Amino acid sequence: MTAVARMTVLVMRTVAPYRTQGLVVFGVIVLIDSRSLVGLIPALALLLAPLVAAQPFMVADKADLQTLYAVLPLSRRTVLLGHYAWALLSFLAIVITGTALAALLAQAQDMPFGGRSLATLLTLSWALFAVNISIQLPLLIRFGYTRISVLATTVPLALVMLAVIRVHLDLESIQDWLPLFWVAGAAALATSAALASCASNQRQRS
Amino acid sequence: MTGDLAFALRGVGCVVGNGFALRDVSFELPTGYVMGLIGANGAGKTTTIRCLLGMQGIESGEIELLGHRVPGPVALRQDVGVVLDHTYLVGDWRLSEVERTLRPFYDRWDAVRYRQLLEEFGLDLRAKVKDLSRGMGMKLMIAVALSHRARLLVFDEPTSGLDPVARDELVGIIGDFLLDEGHSVLFSTHITADLDRIGDYVTLIHGGRIVRTGSKDEILDAYRVVRGGPDELRDLVGVELIGVKESSSGAQALVRTEEADFLGGGVLVEVPTLEEIAVHIGLSSRKPAAGVPDGRREEFA
Repeated sequence: MTAVARMTVLVMRTVAPYRTQGLVVFGVIVLIDSRSLVGLIPALALLLAPLVAAQPFMVADKADLQTLYAVLPLSRRTVLLGHYAWALLSFLAIVITGTALAALLAQAQDMPFGGRSLATLLTLSWALFAVNISIQLPLLIRFGYTRISVLATTVPLALVMLAVIRVHLDLESIQDWLPLFWVAGAAALATSAALASCASNQRQRS
Repeated sequence: MTGDLAFALRGVGCVVGNGFALRDVSFELPTGYVMGLIGANGAGKTTTIRCLLGMQGIESGEIELLGHRVPGPVALRQDVGVVLDHTYLVGDWRLSEVERTLRPFYDRWDAVRYRQLLEEFGLDLRAKVKDLSRGMGMKLMIAVALSHRARLLVFDEPTSGLDPVARDELVGIIGDFLLDEGHSVLFSTHITADLDRIGDYVTLIHGGRIVRTGSKDEILDAYRVVRGGPDELRDLVGVELIGVKESSSGAQALVRTEEADFLGGGVLVEVPTLEEIAVHIGLSSRKPAAGVPDGRREEFA
């Protein structure tokens, strides 16, 4: 197992005792969006995935895991990449589960589901998630959950939603841009990881 | 790098976020011994330890840890166990999960030893970290450190808040750890009684500066406690009084041993305990007590 994989498992074990909270949020989102299949997957990506990505920071602040990370034979870069890997893996798990659930609901409601509209929904979910995480993780790494929890979750959400409203995005309008959305999301995450690395160094010095 | 040193700090300086600074901190510990880092709350013990472990960047000087310059290779942390006055593990982990979680990070993790140690310490594998008392939590962290076969144990105020029985157990655990000549211990505390039994070396820190460092006997030989009536201490000439304590029945202070020869017969001079040395040095920067002129007091500048 690589160092990043070990760190990712550590992050997973960090939040494992609190999985019920994530399941409750998942259930609430599914309940709210169960009649609007278009909104279910993006809602999970926008609301649940960032919460799950931020949860290790919340636990870390409470349990002083920054000390654990400093004591374990782990570089700061590994710690950082482990958090990003956890965010990506949890996003994948959430989106796969959400997609399966949406397919079941579509079948039960005799609604069309899949094909190009599904690809668009997944792309939109990825873009929302990537933008949100790209802003949130460097802030969490620099300041910790306790100091910026509101900032980390509310501001990115507001920015994304504002952009959606102002540009009047709809599924049809973004279909030609799908590859660009995937690339832009990945680029945002890579830039964010580089920023987070600097933030991590600053936090150690302070 | 010096191979027979567990660690060495040479001229280390750093400023932390709240404005507190370490200045020109230098001391070292040969491999195989226990060093007590003594100072009052806020003296700089934790900052010194954070610098030693590479958790805090330094602005001047150099640090050597187990033959490597700090910050050294990440693998160096395989050889260092850190026990603080609190656990730094997820509260909802059971002790079995602690092992499952930490084991992959250590090349020399010994699962059998971990379980043996928990049993020896009276810790249940099914217990949750958050349900452990302070003493139990400290034992858990020691079990973790010993299970990955650390060569250097660093304790930061491990005994504060522990009852005498738990403190005594800790001393026994450290004694067992030191049976291996390659093992060393740095023990920061303001409870000096813990060091009377196990300390080989002592470093006194005050206001971010090292006041004195050396073997325990050297430190004890370096000072004398002088006791007398307030007037008797006030009348002393050519002697620097360290941390004067006054009460209705008299006054006492610390003096350097070489200056004790200048004292007259009217005062009582005794060999101090580590606690007395720590207390008087801790008092030395506080507001002067009434009755003794400011000029009669020393400054650790």
